[in-house]
Amino acid sequence: MKHSLAFVLNGSPIVCAVAPSDLLLETLRDELGLTGTKEGCGRGECGACTVLLDGRPVNSCLLPALEVEGREVTTIEGLARGHELSDVQQAFVERGGIQCGFCSPGMILSVQALLARSADPKEDEIRAALVGNLCRCTGYVQIVESVKAAAERRRGRP
Amino acid sequence: MRGGFDYLRPRSLEEAQEWKARTEGSRYVAGGTDLLVRMKEGKEHPAALVSLRRVPELSGVRHDGVTRIGTATRIGDCLDDAALVARYPVLAQAMTTMGCVQIRNLATVGGNLCTASPCADLAPPLLVLGARLSVRRAAGGREEEIPLEQFFVGPRQTQLGPHDLATAVVLDAPSAGRTVFFKKTRVQMDLALASVAVLLELDGRTCRKARVAAGSVAPTPRRLEAVERVLEGQVLARELVLQAEQVARECVAPICDVRAGDAYRRHVTGVFVRRAVEHLLGAERP
Repeated sequence: MKHSLAFVLNGSPIVCAVAPSDLLLETLRDELGLTGTKEGCGRGECGACTVLLDGRPVNSCLLPALEVEGREVTTIEGLARGHELSDVQQAFVERGGIQCGFCSPGMILSVQALLARSADPKEDEIRAALVGNLCRCTGYVQIVESVKAAAERRRGRP
Repeated sequence: MRGGFDYLRPRSLEEAQEWKARTEGSRYVAGGTDLLVRMKEGKEHPAALVSLRRVPELSGVRHDGVTRIGTATRIGDCLDDAALVARYPVLAQAMTTMGCVQIRNLATVGGNLCTASPCADLAPPLLVLGARLSVRRAAGGREEEIPLEQFFVGPRQTQLGPHDLATAVVLDAPSAGRTVFFKKTRVQMDLALASVAVLLELDGRTCRKARVAAGSVAPTPRRLEAVERVLEGQVLARELVLQAEQVARECVAPICDVRAGDAYRRHVTGVFVRRAVEHLLGAERP
Protein backbone atom coordinates (compact mmCIF):
# COMPACT_ATOMS: atom_id res chain seq x y z
CA MET A 1 0.00 0.00 0.00
CA LYS A 2 1.43 3.36 -1.00
CA HIS A 3 1.89 6.24 1.39
CA SER A 4 1.93 9.88 0.43
CA LEU A 5 5.32 11.45 1.11
CA ALA A 6 5.76 15.24 1.25
CA PHE A 7 9.22 16.74 1.46
CA VAL A 8 11.40 19.48 0.00
CA LEU A 9 13.51 18.33 -2.92
CA ASN A 10 16.23 20.61 -4.28
CA GLY A 11 14.52 23.61 -2.78
CA SER A 12 10.97 22.88 -3.95
CA PRO A 13 8.14 21.12 -2.13
CA ILE A 14 7.15 17.81 -3.64
CA VAL A 15 4.64 15.05 -2.93
CA CYS A 16 5.00 11.51 -4.21
CA ALA A 17 3.70 8.02 -3.51
CA VAL A 18 6.01 5.51 -1.86
CA ALA A 19 5.71 1.99 -0.52
CA PRO A 20 6.82 1.62 3.13
CA SER A 21 9.76 -0.51 2.04
CA ASP A 22 10.99 1.90 -0.62
CA LEU A 23 14.46 3.30 -0.03
CA LEU A 24 15.15 6.94 -0.86
CA LEU A 25 17.57 5.89 -3.61
CA GLU A 26 14.79 3.92 -5.32
CA THR A 27 12.28 6.74 -4.97
CA LEU A 28 14.69 9.30 -6.42
CA ARG A 29 15.69 7.20 -9.40
CA ASP A 30 12.61 5.13 -10.20
CA GLU A 31 9.70 7.25 -9.04
CA LEU A 32 11.09 10.74 -9.62
CA GLY A 33 13.40 10.02 -12.56
CA LEU A 34 16.40 11.69 -10.89
CA THR A 35 19.11 9.32 -11.99
CA GLY A 36 22.06 11.45 -10.96
CA THR A 37 22.20 9.58 -7.65
CA LYS A 38 23.84 6.22 -8.31
CA GLU A 39 23.72 2.78 -6.72
CA GLY A 40 27.25 1.46 -6.28
CA CYS A 41 27.22 -1.10 -3.49
CA GLY A 42 23.78 -0.75 -1.91
CA ARG A 43 25.39 -1.25 1.51
CA GLY A 44 26.53 2.19 2.58
CA GLU A 45 30.19 1.53 1.77
CA CYS A 46 30.89 3.34 -1.51
CA GLY A 47 28.98 6.63 -1.23
CA ALA A 48 27.79 6.71 -4.85
CA CYS A 49 24.26 7.10 -3.49
CA THR A 50 25.12 10.09 -1.30
CA VAL A 51 22.50 12.83 -1.01
CA LEU A 52 22.20 15.68 1.46
CA LEU A 53 19.50 15.35 4.10
CA ASP A 54 18.99 18.70 5.82
CA GLY A 55 22.41 19.58 4.44
CA ARG A 56 24.16 16.47 5.76
CA PRO A 57 25.53 13.66 3.60
CA VAL A 58 23.76 10.32 4.01
CA ASN A 59 23.63 7.06 2.07
CA SER A 60 20.28 7.04 0.29
CA CYS A 61 20.59 3.28 -0.26
CA LEU A 62 20.07 2.68 3.44
CA LEU A 63 17.41 5.32 4.11
CA PRO A 64 13.72 4.41 3.95
CA ALA A 65 11.99 7.05 1.81
CA LEU A 66 9.36 7.72 4.48
CA GLU A 67 12.10 9.05 6.75
CA VAL A 68 12.50 12.21 4.66
CA GLU A 69 8.95 13.39 5.32
CA GLY A 70 9.00 17.10 6.06
CA ARG A 71 12.76 17.31 5.52
CA GLU A 72 15.06 18.77 2.88
CA VAL A 73 16.77 16.55 0.37
CA THR A 74 19.44 17.77 -2.04
CA THR A 75 20.53 15.64 -4.96
CA ILE A 76 23.21 16.40 -7.55
CA GLU A 77 20.48 17.74 -9.80
CA GLY A 78 19.94 20.49 -7.25
CA LEU A 79 23.35 22.10 -7.54
CA ALA A 80 23.42 23.62 -10.99
CA ARG A 81 21.17 26.56 -11.91
CA GLY A 82 19.85 25.64 -15.32
CA HIS A 83 23.02 25.06 -17.34
CA GLU A 84 25.25 27.01 -14.96
CA LEU A 85 27.31 24.61 -12.87
CA SER A 86 27.86 25.27 -9.19
CA ASP A 87 31.31 26.38 -8.07
CA VAL A 88 32.18 22.90 -6.81
CA GLN A 89 31.02 21.25 -10.03
CA GLN A 90 33.00 23.78 -12.06
CA ALA A 91 36.16 23.15 -10.01
CA PHE A 92 35.83 19.40 -10.55
CA VAL A 93 35.47 19.89 -14.29
CA GLU A 94 38.46 22.23 -14.48
CA ARG A 95 40.79 20.21 -12.25
CA GLY A 96 40.16 16.70 -13.61
CA GLY A 97 38.20 15.61 -10.56
CA ILE A 98 35.79 13.74 -12.87
CA GLN A 99 36.79 10.79 -15.07
CA CYS A 100 34.07 8.19 -15.56
CA GLY A 101 31.72 10.30 -13.47
CA PHE A 102 30.09 7.49 -11.52
CA CYS A 103 31.33 8.60 -8.09
CA SER A 104 30.99 12.27 -8.95
CA PRO A 105 27.43 13.09 -7.86
CA GLY A 106 28.00 11.62 -4.41
CA MET A 107 31.51 13.03 -4.19
CA ILE A 108 30.44 16.54 -5.13
CA LEU A 109 27.60 16.55 -2.63
CA SER A 110 29.96 15.44 0.14
CA VAL A 111 32.27 18.29 -0.86
CA GLN A 112 29.35 20.70 -0.84
CA ALA A 113 28.64 19.72 2.77
CA LEU A 114 32.33 19.91 3.73
CA LEU A 115 32.74 23.44 2.40
CA ALA A 116 29.59 24.55 4.20
CA ARG A 117 31.27 23.59 7.49
CA SER A 118 34.89 24.35 6.71
CA ALA A 119 36.05 27.25 4.54
CA ASP A 120 39.71 26.30 4.22
CA PRO A 121 40.06 22.55 4.64
CA LYS A 122 43.55 21.07 4.56
CA GLU A 123 44.26 17.81 2.78
CA ASP A 124 43.76 15.62 5.87
CA GLU A 125 40.38 17.16 6.54
CA ILE A 126 39.33 16.78 2.90
CA ARG A 127 40.32 13.14 2.81
CA ALA A 128 38.58 12.45 6.13
CA ALA A 129 35.39 14.04 4.81
CA LEU A 130 35.54 11.88 1.67
CA VAL A 131 36.31 8.50 3.32
CA GLY A 132 32.80 7.41 2.41
CA ASN A 133 33.06 8.29 -1.29
CA LEU A 134 35.08 5.74 -3.25
CA CYS A 135 36.59 6.62 -6.62
CA ARG A 136 38.18 4.02 -8.86
CA CYS A 137 39.48 6.39 -11.52
CA THR A 138 41.29 9.41 -10.14
CA GLY A 139 43.34 8.09 -7.24
CA TYR A 140 41.77 11.05 -5.36
CA VAL A 141 44.60 13.45 -6.20
CA GLN A 142 42.62 15.61 -8.62
CA ILE A 143 39.62 15.38 -6.33
CA VAL A 144 41.60 16.94 -3.47
CA GLU A 145 42.86 19.61 -5.85
CA SER A 146 39.32 20.31 -7.04
CA VAL A 147 38.15 20.77 -3.48
CA LYS A 148 40.98 23.14 -2.65
CA ALA A 149 40.29 25.13 -5.82
CA ALA A 150 36.59 25.39 -5.02
CA ALA A 151 37.35 26.48 -1.46
CA GLU A 152 39.82 29.10 -2.63
CA ARG A 153 37.40 30.48 -5.17
CA ARG A 154 34.71 30.73 -2.51
CA ARG A 155 37.02 32.53 -0.11
CA GLY A 156 37.85 35.01 -2.86
CA ARG A 157 34.21 35.96 -3.25
CA PRO A 158 32.71 38.49 -0.84
CA MET B 1 13.45 -2.61 -1.38
CA ARG B 2 12.92 -6.23 -2.30
CA GLY B 3 10.95 -8.33 0.16
CA GLY B 4 8.60 -5.59 1.24
CA PHE B 5 7.97 -4.64 4.83
CA ASP B 6 5.79 -2.20 6.69
CA TYR B 7 7.38 0.94 8.12
CA LEU B 8 5.94 2.45 11.27
CA ARG B 9 6.88 5.84 12.70
CA PRO B 10 5.75 6.20 16.32
CA ARG B 11 5.98 9.62 17.92
CA SER B 12 6.47 8.66 21.56
CA LEU B 13 8.03 5.95 23.72
CA GLU B 14 4.61 4.53 24.61
CA GLU B 15 3.59 4.38 20.96
CA ALA B 16 6.88 2.77 20.01
CA GLN B 17 6.59 -0.04 22.55
CA GLU B 18 2.88 -0.50 21.98
CA TRP B 19 3.18 -0.73 18.19
CA LYS B 20 6.20 -2.98 18.47
CA ALA B 21 4.41 -5.41 20.77
CA ARG B 22 1.30 -5.66 18.61
CA THR B 23 3.11 -5.91 15.23
CA GLU B 24 4.21 -9.46 14.65
CA GLY B 25 7.65 -9.93 13.16
CA SER B 26 8.66 -6.32 13.79
CA ARG B 27 12.11 -4.95 14.61
CA TYR B 28 13.13 -1.60 16.01
CA VAL B 29 15.26 0.49 13.66
CA ALA B 30 17.10 3.75 14.17
CA GLY B 31 19.96 4.51 11.75
CA GLY B 32 19.54 1.24 9.91
CA THR B 33 23.19 1.08 8.89
CA ASP B 34 23.48 -2.45 10.19
CA LEU B 35 19.92 -3.78 9.98
CA LEU B 36 19.16 -2.59 6.45
CA VAL B 37 22.39 -4.13 5.18
CA ARG B 38 21.55 -7.47 6.80
CA MET B 39 18.07 -7.33 5.32
CA LYS B 40 19.54 -6.76 1.87
CA GLU B 41 21.84 -9.73 2.44
CA GLY B 42 18.85 -11.88 3.37
CA LYS B 43 20.06 -12.44 6.93
CA GLU B 44 17.07 -10.74 8.54
CA HIS B 45 13.51 -10.55 7.21
CA PRO B 46 11.35 -8.49 9.53
CA ALA B 47 7.75 -8.07 8.45
CA ALA B 48 7.82 -4.52 9.76
CA LEU B 49 10.25 -1.90 11.00
CA VAL B 50 9.38 0.36 13.93
CA SER B 51 11.43 3.50 13.43
CA LEU B 52 12.70 5.27 16.55
CA ARG B 53 13.83 8.39 14.72
CA ARG B 54 10.83 10.52 15.61
CA VAL B 55 10.59 9.61 19.29
CA PRO B 56 11.83 12.80 20.94
CA GLU B 57 12.72 11.16 24.26
CA LEU B 58 15.29 9.00 22.50
CA SER B 59 17.33 11.70 20.80
CA GLY B 60 19.66 14.24 22.30
CA VAL B 61 22.47 14.63 24.79
CA ARG B 62 21.77 16.07 28.26
CA HIS B 63 24.40 17.10 30.75
CA ASP B 64 23.48 17.70 34.35
CA GLY B 65 25.74 15.87 36.76
CA VAL B 66 25.39 12.69 34.77
CA THR B 67 25.35 12.76 30.99
CA ARG B 68 22.51 11.00 29.20
CA ILE B 69 22.83 10.20 25.50
CA GLY B 70 19.52 9.19 23.92
CA THR B 71 19.97 5.87 22.13
CA ALA B 72 18.58 7.24 18.86
CA THR B 73 21.09 10.10 18.85
CA ARG B 74 23.14 10.07 15.67
CA ILE B 75 26.90 9.68 15.99
CA GLY B 76 27.39 12.87 13.96
CA ASP B 77 25.20 14.81 16.38
CA CYS B 78 27.21 13.50 19.32
CA LEU B 79 30.41 14.76 17.69
CA ASP B 80 28.79 18.18 17.31
CA ASP B 81 28.08 18.30 21.06
CA ALA B 82 31.10 20.22 22.31
CA ALA B 83 30.48 19.35 25.95
CA LEU B 84 30.31 15.62 25.19
CA VAL B 85 33.54 15.73 23.22
CA ALA B 86 35.30 17.72 25.96
CA ARG B 87 34.08 15.57 28.86
CA TYR B 88 34.54 12.16 27.27
CA PRO B 89 37.28 12.46 24.65
CA VAL B 90 37.78 8.68 24.49
CA LEU B 91 34.19 8.32 23.30
CA ALA B 92 34.63 11.05 20.72
CA GLN B 93 37.84 9.38 19.51
CA ALA B 94 35.97 6.15 18.88
CA MET B 95 33.10 7.96 17.17
CA THR B 96 35.40 9.66 14.67
CA THR B 97 36.65 6.23 13.57
CA MET B 98 33.16 4.92 12.85
CA GLY B 99 32.48 4.43 9.15
CA CYS B 100 32.42 7.75 7.36
CA VAL B 101 30.50 11.01 7.41
CA GLN B 102 27.46 9.50 5.72
CA ILE B 103 27.29 6.58 8.13
CA ARG B 104 27.76 8.88 11.13
CA ASN B 105 24.83 10.98 9.93
CA LEU B 106 22.57 7.93 10.07
CA ALA B 107 23.97 5.53 12.68
CA THR B 108 23.08 5.90 16.33
CA VAL B 109 24.69 5.26 19.70
CA GLY B 110 21.97 2.80 20.67
CA GLY B 111 22.17 0.99 17.37
CA ASN B 112 25.89 0.37 17.79
CA LEU B 113 25.35 -1.11 21.26
CA CYS B 114 22.13 -3.05 20.63
CA THR B 115 23.44 -4.57 17.38
CA ALA B 116 26.14 -5.83 19.74
CA SER B 117 28.67 -6.81 17.14
CA PRO B 118 31.86 -7.95 18.88
CA CYS B 119 33.46 -5.10 16.90
CA ALA B 120 31.15 -2.37 18.26
CA ASP B 121 33.35 0.72 18.31
CA LEU B 122 31.53 2.50 21.12
CA ALA B 123 31.74 -0.40 23.54
CA PRO B 124 35.39 -0.24 24.63
CA PRO B 125 35.29 3.48 25.49
CA LEU B 126 31.92 3.19 27.21
CA LEU B 127 33.15 0.20 29.20
CA VAL B 128 36.17 2.07 30.57
CA LEU B 129 33.91 5.02 31.39
CA GLY B 130 31.66 2.75 33.44
CA ALA B 131 28.61 3.50 31.32
CA ARG B 132 25.14 2.20 32.10
CA LEU B 133 22.34 1.56 29.68
CA SER B 134 18.86 2.71 30.60
CA VAL B 135 16.34 0.13 29.40
CA ARG B 136 12.56 0.26 29.34
CA ARG B 137 11.30 -3.27 29.77
CA ALA B 138 8.26 -4.25 27.75
CA ALA B 139 6.35 -5.70 30.66
CA GLY B 140 5.01 -2.91 32.83
CA GLY B 141 7.21 -0.33 31.12
CA ARG B 142 9.56 -0.08 34.07
CA GLU B 143 12.89 1.57 33.45
CA GLU B 144 16.10 0.08 34.79
CA GLU B 145 19.81 0.76 34.40
CA ILE B 146 22.10 -2.05 33.31
CA PRO B 147 25.88 -1.72 33.64
CA LEU B 148 27.21 -1.99 30.10
CA GLU B 149 29.60 -4.76 31.10
CA GLN B 150 26.57 -6.97 31.82
CA PHE B 151 24.73 -5.98 28.66
CA PHE B 152 26.57 -8.03 26.03
CA VAL B 153 25.80 -11.74 26.25
CA GLY B 154 27.29 -13.06 23.01
CA PRO B 155 27.90 -12.04 19.40
CA ARG B 156 24.85 -9.92 18.46
CA GLN B 157 23.15 -10.97 21.68
CA THR B 158 22.23 -8.67 24.52
CA GLN B 159 20.15 -8.65 27.65
CA LEU B 160 17.28 -7.05 25.74
CA GLY B 161 14.07 -9.03 25.34
CA PRO B 162 12.28 -8.72 21.99
CA HIS B 163 10.14 -5.74 23.00
CA ASP B 164 12.53 -4.08 25.44
CA LEU B 165 13.84 -0.70 24.42
CA ALA B 166 17.19 0.82 25.35
CA THR B 167 16.52 4.51 25.90
CA ALA B 168 19.77 6.16 26.95
CA VAL B 169 23.45 5.68 27.67
CA VAL B 170 24.20 7.10 31.12
CA LEU B 171 27.66 8.38 32.02
CA ASP B 172 28.83 9.68 35.39
CA ALA B 173 30.68 12.97 35.48
CA PRO B 174 34.21 12.39 34.15
CA SER B 175 36.83 11.33 36.67
CA ALA B 176 40.41 12.54 36.80
CA GLY B 177 41.43 9.63 34.58
CA ARG B 178 43.31 10.02 31.33
CA THR B 179 41.99 8.06 28.40
CA VAL B 180 42.87 6.88 24.92
CA PHE B 181 41.32 4.66 22.23
CA PHE B 182 43.11 2.75 19.49
CA LYS B 183 41.49 0.87 16.62
CA LYS B 184 43.23 -1.26 14.01
CA THR B 185 41.70 -1.50 10.56
CA ARG B 186 42.94 -2.44 7.10
CA VAL B 187 41.54 0.69 5.44
CA GLN B 188 39.92 3.86 6.76
CA MET B 189 36.36 2.56 6.64
CA ASP B 190 36.50 -0.92 8.06
CA LEU B 191 35.39 -2.96 11.03
CA ALA B 192 38.02 -3.00 13.75
CA LEU B 193 40.15 -6.11 13.78
CA ALA B 194 41.18 -5.10 17.28
CA SER B 195 40.34 -2.08 19.39
CA VAL B 196 41.42 -1.04 22.87
CA ALA B 197 40.32 1.71 25.25
CA VAL B 198 42.27 2.52 28.40
CA LEU B 199 41.52 4.80 31.34
CA LEU B 200 44.21 5.42 33.96
CA GLU B 201 44.06 7.54 37.09
CA LEU B 202 47.68 8.37 37.76
CA ASP B 203 49.62 9.82 40.64
CA GLY B 204 52.99 10.43 39.01
CA ARG B 205 53.83 6.98 37.67
CA THR B 206 51.63 5.19 40.20
CA CYS B 207 48.36 3.87 38.84
CA ARG B 208 45.47 4.42 41.22
CA LYS B 209 42.79 3.07 38.90
CA ALA B 210 42.94 1.19 35.62
CA ARG B 211 40.15 0.35 33.23
CA VAL B 212 40.99 -1.54 30.04
CA ALA B 213 38.50 -2.75 27.44
CA ALA B 214 38.86 -4.40 24.06
CA GLY B 215 36.67 -4.99 21.04
CA SER B 216 36.82 -7.43 18.13
CA VAL B 217 38.94 -9.93 20.06
CA ALA B 218 36.30 -11.91 21.95
CA PRO B 219 32.66 -12.93 21.45
CA THR B 220 31.68 -9.63 23.03
CA PRO B 221 33.38 -6.32 23.74
CA ARG B 222 34.73 -6.69 27.25
CA ARG B 223 36.82 -5.31 30.04
CA LEU B 224 40.24 -6.92 30.40
CA GLU B 225 40.17 -7.26 34.17
CA ALA B 226 43.33 -9.33 34.22
CA VAL B 227 45.21 -6.42 32.66
CA GLU B 228 43.61 -3.98 35.08
CA ARG B 229 44.84 -6.08 38.02
CA VAL B 230 48.41 -5.95 36.68
CA LEU B 231 48.33 -2.16 36.55
CA GLU B 232 46.23 -1.04 39.51
CA GLY B 233 48.06 0.13 42.62
CA GLN B 234 51.42 -0.30 40.92
CA VAL B 235 54.24 1.97 39.83
CA LEU B 236 54.12 1.69 36.04
CA ALA B 237 57.72 0.78 35.36
CA ARG B 238 58.69 -0.58 31.96
CA GLU B 239 58.70 -4.24 33.02
CA LEU B 240 55.21 -3.92 34.43
CA VAL B 241 53.91 -2.36 31.21
CA LEU B 242 55.42 -5.25 29.22
CA GLN B 243 53.76 -7.65 31.64
CA ALA B 244 50.42 -5.92 30.99
CA GLU B 245 51.01 -6.34 27.26
CA GLN B 246 51.62 -10.06 27.73
CA VAL B 247 48.54 -10.53 29.92
CA ALA B 248 46.43 -8.65 27.37
CA ARG B 249 47.55 -11.04 24.65
CA GLU B 250 46.64 -14.02 26.80
CA CYS B 251 43.27 -12.90 28.08
CA VAL B 252 41.51 -12.31 24.76
CA ALA B 253 39.87 -14.89 22.51
CA PRO B 254 39.95 -13.61 18.95
CA ILE B 255 38.69 -15.42 15.87
CA CYS B 256 40.51 -15.82 12.60
CA ASP B 257 38.59 -14.38 9.67
CA VAL B 258 39.02 -12.54 6.39
CA ARG B 259 40.06 -9.34 8.17
CA ALA B 260 42.87 -10.82 10.26
CA GLY B 261 44.21 -13.98 11.85
CA ASP B 262 43.76 -14.68 15.54
CA ALA B 263 47.48 -14.49 16.32
CA TYR B 264 47.71 -11.04 14.77
CA ARG B 265 44.66 -9.82 16.67
CA ARG B 266 46.20 -11.00 19.94
CA HIS B 267 49.44 -9.29 19.07
CA VAL B 268 47.73 -6.00 18.23
CA THR B 269 45.72 -6.10 21.47
CA GLY B 270 48.93 -6.37 23.45
CA VAL B 271 50.63 -3.63 21.46
CA PHE B 272 47.66 -1.31 21.92
CA VAL B 273 47.61 -1.87 25.68
CA ARG B 274 51.33 -1.10 25.92
CA ARG B 275 51.08 1.94 23.66
CA ALA B 276 48.05 3.22 25.53
CA VAL B 277 49.81 3.07 28.89
CA GLU B 278 52.96 4.67 27.48
CA HIS B 279 50.87 7.39 25.86
CA LEU B 280 48.93 8.12 29.02
CA LEU B 281 52.09 8.23 31.14
CA GLY B 282 53.45 10.88 28.83
CA ALA B 283 50.19 12.75 28.29
CA GLU B 284 49.33 16.21 29.55
CA ARG B 285 47.15 16.41 32.64
CA PRO B 286 43.44 16.61 31.65
